Amino acid sequence: MVVGEVAVETDIIIMGGGPGGYAAAIRLGQLGKSVVLVERDRLGGVCLNRGCIPSKALIHAANQYQRLNDLGKMGIRLSQERTTMDLGIWQDWKEGITSQLNQGIAHLCKENGVTVVKGQATFLSDDRIGVETDGDFETYKFEQAIIATGSRPYIPSFIKVDGEYILDSTASLLLQEVPSSLSIIGGGYIGIELGMAFAKLGTKVTIIEMASRILPQVAENLVKEVTRNAKKLGMNIKTSSKVEKASVVDGHVHLQISSKKQGSEVVVSEKTLVTIGRIPNTEEIGLNRAGVTVGEKGYIAVDMECRTNVPHIFAIGDITPGPALAHRASKQGIVAAEVIGGLPSAIDSPYVPYVIFSEPQIAGVGLSREEAEQQGYSVKTGKFPFSANGRALAMDETEGFAEVIVDAESHILLGMHMVCADASNLIGEGVLALELAARVEDIALSVHPHPTLAEGWMEAAEAVLGHAIHIVNK
Amino acid sequence: MLEFKLPDVGEGMHEGEIIQWLIKEGDAVTQDQPIVEVQTDKVNAELTAPAAGVVKKIFFSEGDIVEVGTTIFTIQVENGMPAPETDMGEEEIQAAQSGDVKVNAGHITSKPHLEAVRVLATPFVRQMAREMKIDIEQVKGSGPAGRITESDLKQFKENHSITRENVYNNDNKILQDKATMKNADRAKRLENEWEERILLKGIRKKIAEHMVKSVSTIPHVTHVDELEMDRLKEFKNQLKAYSDVKDIKLTFLPFFVKAIVIALKEFKTLNASIDEKTNEIILKNYYHIGIATNTKEGLIVPVIKHADQKTIFQLADEIRKLATQAREGKLSIDQITGSTFTISNVGPIGGLHATPIINYPEAAILALHKMEHRMVVRDLEGVIRLMMNMSLSFDHRLIDGVTAVHFTNRIKELLENPIRLVVEMR
Repeated sequence: MVVGEVAVETDIIIMGGGPGGYAAAIRLGQLGKSVVLVERDRLGGVCLNRGCIPSKALIHAANQYQRLNDLGKMGIRLSQERTTMDLGIWQDWKEGITSQLNQGIAHLCKENGVTVVKGQATFLSDDRIGVETDGDFETYKFEQAIIATGSRPYIPSFIKVDGEYILDSTASLLLQEVPSSLSIIGGGYIGIELGMAFAKLGTKVTIIEMASRILPQVAENLVKEVTRNAKKLGMNIKTSSKVEKASVVDGHVHLQISSKKQGSEVVVSEKTLVTIGRIPNTEEIGLNRAGVTVGEKGYIAVDMECRTNVPHIFAIGDITPGPALAHRASKQGIVAAEVIGGLPSAIDSPYVPYVIFSEPQIAGVGLSREEAEQQGYSVKTGKFPFSANGRALAMDETEGFAEVIVDAESHILLGMHMVCADASNLIGEGVLALELAARVEDIALSVHPHPTLAEGWMEAAEAVLGHAIHIVNK
Repeated sequence: MLEFKLPDVGEGMHEGEIIQWLIKEGDAVTQDQPIVEVQTDKVNAELTAPAAGVVKKIFFSEGDIVEVGTTIFTIQVENGMPAPETDMGEEEIQAAQSGDVKVNAGHITSKPHLEAVRVLATPFVRQMAREMKIDIEQVKGSGPAGRITESDLKQFKENHSITRENVYNNDNKILQDKATMKNADRAKRLENEWEERILLKGIRKKIAEHMVKSVSTIPHVTHVDELEMDRLKEFKNQLKAYSDVKDIKLTFLPFFVKAIVIALKEFKTLNASIDEKTNEIILKNYYHIGIATNTKEGLIVPVIKHADQKTIFQLADEIRKLATQAREGKLSIDQITGSTFTISNVGPIGGLHATPIINYPEAAILALHKMEHRMVVRDLEGVIRLMMNMSLSFDHRLIDGVTAVHFTNRIKELLENPIRLVVEMR
């Protein structure tokens, strides 16, 4: 800092332009505040540029590619020429999607009076930040600040991501060619989503997971179909296995793996993807100068209004304790903005839905049966398999089921989960039902459109009441 | 910031009265330091600090009635913010660093995140509660399965403002609270009227609720009889020298307790209750006798536990101690709950007979009246005897009139012939 420097004054500074940061910026703009949004890379953050959107673009392409193999039974004959996947062209298509979204956010920010500044922001004190852009350094003075710096893939110290042989999730979405073989360290949702997509594109995928099953954080009954499909896709799943060492030998990655059952072995693949978790970006933004307390693991604790221990500084998204999900960040961003704008806003619901773009998809909200029982509820559940759903049959997507978890006493819904094609779109009904504190009868008595997969919810709800139409009630 | 909510320190109490704050805003407190004295279900309870810190805000004044679950004060805890929760456990990070591979730590979970708890209300109603500055967790829902509705919020707001109006302070003087027009109007109106209004609160409110429940649930029937007390009086006088040595003030009450316990053992339905939920009669093989005691705060019923296992002197001693504690307001919840049969001794005050109200959910209550010399007929001759009436109210669902009369006959037999009482005592 130089003596006599002039700081740009603004009501609110937002550090980070991801789904939390930009939502907060737009909401604050709507509330008539002057906002400076600082983003070091591209608006939209990990979600838009390196996470949700690009990965779904890949998964969608892989699904289409694989689908071609199954068209024969519907009478669709393809020309004899072998189907191929050009990942380079896919990259351009994906880039088109993310650019369009980037521009959309930039436009919305502009229309709402948000000043977007490109650069790396750090706190200088509890009312000033410095922003470094291409060697320039600008200071901003703020009344309130929102920290929304997000997270990055966690890479253990014994592995070095080189972007060529050993990849993190970001690098895996930048590949120009479909790898012939890919080993994935970590069988969580990112590993499974990307692993299944590459397997569909013809890659020989090996998943190495330390827990006894893949997707260990999802209720076991929801994962079975996915595990079965992974095997059908030719994926090699090694559970209860640890990676001891990773090295690149002659253009291939050698992973030394040990497991109690199999002992020690070496997995050789063209590339390795490391997806074992994410860590919050809270180290290099000068939080100590602002007096913001950071917990041991780098997370910033916040209250229901997303306030940190410094009352005029808020934190949202992956840097706060809780699941690192874009929709949670957006909600927090809007709440923080409204609190700053003087509105009575708060994170007042425990329900954050989750979606896994596996094959088939898994999505849910609320408690699993086990969790509900642990919390002392007397639980009733109802389940409806999609093999009994007309639309699912007509779509040739008969795998999976819808499951509702209900408090036996009051019939209030406690959780709704499903495994099936398009579960990601269907879980919206579950979120609304739980937020409205609906009873299972409310779902059962609502007319659901036919023929749709959404009928699965109605049938599962009727199953709880003992009168589902399309299955035998036990 | 830690919010301290009024806990249920009694058995299913709904509200308490703030008697005295032992600290003030800004005071530093240590964990377990007494913070506030609360009058709960007929007892005083001292509530202590759940953690060390500084008392930030006190929400109620002395004399206020507060519902259970309401935040009554906040403490800024010493360590500032609570320790953060994180989804990537330390173990996982260490595991990853040491080469162990674990899952994509915690970025998907079906668990609700920890900031918010579920309230059975729609997002709009929750938002409305915040706008109305109502802690929605305190609102009882009237909707299906206890859902909180918009009208519940309105109702709550209304009730809450009445409670907080605080029309009277402890001396029943009108508090000239000019803070709101509503209060001022009300105070003015009261001055102009030839009546005094006192908020039904504290013990009096508890008693009122309890009485209504008892009478509306139990079909009461009262049966009255009279006792001749001369022999018991003589017997008690004979024991006086002995009780003086032991420094025990012997009254008639321990004898009554003993006689009643003996009779209760023979007529089990009088030491019983009905469980309306399970539709069962509970016959109790323990004899906890409640002694209704008049205090300046109102009627309180301390309980003599296992009265059948205590001697006359032990009973005398315990009755005296309980009565003193009751008058000083120092009884614990344990000392006023769990009775199986109640004696109401109104004799010292006067009266001929009464219809005592059963201490719900017990099966009967015996009121003992004034002892006085009356002219009675014995062997066709008028004689003067020391007489006392007793009124037994009983639950007619459980006890027939005949049983009730047999029961009082038995008590009469024992008290009129103290020798028999002594030989039948265990």
